[in-house]
Amino acid sequence: MLRLITALRRRFFPEHHGDPQELQNAFRNHYLHFRGLLTANNNALELMAEAEQMLASGRPFGMAFVRGNCTALSVNVYKMIKHLTALADNGGYQRLPSRFKEISGRIEAILDRQPTIGAGPHILGMDQIDRTSIDLVGEKMANLGEIRNRVGLTTPDGFVITATAAGEFMAGGELQTEINRQLKSLDIDNLEELYTISAAVQQLISVAPLPEELETQIQRAYFQLADRASKEVLVAMRSSALGEDGMRVSFAGQYRTQLNVAPEFLGRTYKEILAGKYKSQAIVYRQQRGYRHQDVVMCVGCLAMVEATVSGVTYSRPPGDSRGNGVLIHAVRGLASGAVDGDVPHELWRVARYAPHPVLASPTGITGPALLSPDRLAELAEVAVRLEAHFGSPQDIEWSYDATGRLFLLQSRPLGEAESGALVTPPTADGDQPPPLLAGGATVSPGAACGVVFKVASSLDLLRFPPGGVLVVKSPYPDWAVLVNRASAIVSETGQAAAHLATVAREFGVPALFGVADAFTTLGDGQLVTVDASGRRVHPGRVESLLSEQPAKPALMRGSPIEQLLREVLAQITPLNLTNPASPYFRASACETLHDLTRFCHEKAVQEMFRFGDRHGFDKRSARQLVVETPFQWWVINLDDGFAEERQPDKHFINLSDIRSTPMLALWQGMTAIPWAGPPPVDLGGLGSIIFQSTRNPRLDPAVRSGLTARNYFLVAKNFCNLSVRLGYHLALAEANLSEYLTESYISFQFKGGAADNHRRLLRVNLLGDILAVFDFRVEIKGDTLTARIEKRPREYLEKRLMVLGYLLIHTRQIDMVMADEEVRDQYRVKILADLATILPNHEPLAIGTNHDQ
Amino acid sequence: MTNEIRLLLVDDEKDFLEVTGKRLARRGFAVKIALTCGEAKAILDHEWPEVVVLDVMLPDLNGIQFLKEIKQKWPLLPVILLSGHASVQSGIKGIECGAYDYCLKPVDLEELIERVKIAYQESRAV
Repeated sequence: MLRLITALRRRFFPEHHGDPQELQNAFRNHYLHFRGLLTANNNALELMAEAEQMLASGRPFGMAFVRGNCTALSVNVYKMIKHLTALADNGGYQRLPSRFKEISGRIEAILDRQPTIGAGPHILGMDQIDRTSIDLVGEKMANLGEIRNRVGLTTPDGFVITATAAGEFMAGGELQTEINRQLKSLDIDNLEELYTISAAVQQLISVAPLPEELETQIQRAYFQLADRASKEVLVAMRSSALGEDGMRVSFAGQYRTQLNVAPEFLGRTYKEILAGKYKSQAIVYRQQRGYRHQDVVMCVGCLAMVEATVSGVTYSRPPGDSRGNGVLIHAVRGLASGAVDGDVPHELWRVARYAPHPVLASPTGITGPALLSPDRLAELAEVAVRLEAHFGSPQDIEWSYDATGRLFLLQSRPLGEAESGALVTPPTADGDQPPPLLAGGATVSPGAACGVVFKVASSLDLLRFPPGGVLVVKSPYPDWAVLVNRASAIVSETGQAAAHLATVAREFGVPALFGVADAFTTLGDGQLVTVDASGRRVHPGRVESLLSEQPAKPALMRGSPIEQLLREVLAQITPLNLTNPASPYFRASACETLHDLTRFCHEKAVQEMFRFGDRHGFDKRSARQLVVETPFQWWVINLDDGFAEERQPDKHFINLSDIRSTPMLALWQGMTAIPWAGPPPVDLGGLGSIIFQSTRNPRLDPAVRSGLTARNYFLVAKNFCNLSVRLGYHLALAEANLSEYLTESYISFQFKGGAADNHRRLLRVNLLGDILAVFDFRVEIKGDTLTARIEKRPREYLEKRLMVLGYLLIHTRQIDMVMADEEVRDQYRVKILADLATILPNHEPLAIGTNHDQ
Repeated sequence: MTNEIRLLLVDDEKDFLEVTGKRLARRGFAVKIALTCGEAKAILDHEWPEVVVLDVMLPDLNGIQFLKEIKQKWPLLPVILLSGHASVQSGIKGIECGAYDYCLKPVDLEELIERVKIAYQESRAV
């Protein structure tokens, strides 16, 4: 009989009969893998949050961020799989690696995708080009062809060396591969490195040999052009970048234009213009606007030089006022480049948009005859209105008159979106501001900003420019644009709104004041000033009244290729499809994203730890009921060093005093600091709704249900605690690791379910989210599921948050039933925050935050 | 000191190697540095490092290849890979071949120190 009982007991309650030391070692090994898996899980979730936050913030990021994030994430998920496989030690989870490789392969394919450059001719004549040629000739030349062949206005004769030609040249001899390698780890905030790499990459392009066939084709096209002109012509070679369309970004002046190129220099100059794509300011600009370098392909227009007597830039409407009246015309003597580079004396006219286009405002201070006669002003205004109508938006037009009086159009592009809203800000009223150091000039980018003056006169000065400094220059050269992401404001002695630096400043939302006489000599390096670009003044010190209510900086990344790429990659990463461990679909083969894999691995790792116990009689030895006086039963499983070392008298129970797990004790302290007052009085609506829900769904099953969560379990080690709570109808999971290393330290919390109807459950989840956000948890709410996390904080800081969680676990149970409306929720919020203030007497004053994502 | 962790740092960027080596030494590690796999092998044979930090790109042998050699001879020695060029595949390959961790350059020194310490502790616990 005794033998039969023993046999039955062994059958149903297996015990380990091996060497206890061996079992201890095996368990420790398991626990190490479990801990490794938790750390990797924690890192992976943090990386996902980081990528999502970056996307939401609109802050600039480059491919280095996207690649770095995806790589670190893949490494951590793969580590989880390795740890889980080791935990299973029975050859389980064989499908996981293949699922992982499939998903990470998809991610890598998105990261490595190259823009396709269409096949086509290497050269296209200007008479063959219109807007439909954009994929071959770039936006600038496509627009010029459109003006020539569709609008019927005069443009210089010439041809374009196409994207196909550039693509073939850059792909040959692994040129692009080598360039990408050099740029991959470039830190654009390190200006010295930026200049070095920019120069090296440009050099690589300049010394690479042009394909012989292309060289011949360029020469042939040139001689045909010279034939048509019946003389030897010099050409202007202009970059026309492809890949910027679809965005209202202005790469104006970032790239090279070379004037007066003789036929023997065509090949060399072509390469220089291709190399201009990697000028330092172009690299910075692309990074800030979210363009990969390979997204931009350089087409090059070769246009017969116009022997210009007067040139300029016309805005079909005043910048920043798309419904404004009047065409703005900037004119300079000679070539148009003077108007754009910014330091040649110019005349500014405002001419009516309606015929006969009378002059509305004339330039001041002209000595001698004006550069433009009323007829020419009328002609320019008429052309501007016509081009605006043709292209469907206000235009920024470059032009030249030759010696015969013939008007040539050199370029027309939309006035950038960032220009909207610029220049119309009324000057700030005088308040209690200190007398200005400087006054006057032209607002070329509105707003006000404060910073320390840093004068830049050479490239060497650029390298020392401090982040947040006020850039003070004599002339607004395009080269200074490399500082536009660092400068808080720009002040220039010369220049006007058409200067390239002004365009970029508007785009980046950097206040800029140009044409301020003596700025360079009046302002001293290191001086703290407030630049009021709208009010056209520079004040000493920090003037708060000017700095408040500044508009938010433009979100430069919106809609950019890199932003789109990150969105695409995140679609393979963050969606969570595996929510219910009890579902038959909760399996490796159903994992569609990296988030699914982390969720799966985490759940299975906890199960494996239990299974280890099952196999080795571990649960019978170690799962102890906590001896406490609470209405609920709590079970504690020691994973490693979570219990006091002295031998426990009873294998079935454990006293709180014998628990050594710091995170569990912190949670417990929060759970018990204020006695639970029992279920709240339920309003009839709430009760009715519970009855209704119970009828409709008798299981009332929270999504995350598994066999393990039927009881309230603490899994503990000295620094670790994982708590599954099923109190009433909701399920909560709290997990914390309070490591001596910040990289391993975290708290995570999940909460789902409830007995009441959806509205009440959501109100409770919102309340929890609000409270947790007050305590700096990163909260995410989807439906009635809340997740909250904190990582990489010191131990004492996390202990306090565990007390908060402990309190919430107990005191928010069943309150969903009384959550009739926002008012009740707010009453609970006040009570909870007051309670928490007594539990955490040393906590900083509590602010009621609502910064959770929904 | 006897309680210093013996650390081998292998990287072909001389400046990075020397600066990082010195900073880690100042933080209490017994640091050996190597510019090539050849140099690293000699140190591995004679100095018994307890943690290796290894750049993926090395002049005489691919870092992953070298990682495999290390893991074959010293399977319990934790190796942390460093890479200046993030690539999902190279990261996965590193872990597959037994790397303890994979860090991207520029690496934060504090983070590297923590990872080295954790790797060391775990290797002792096994």
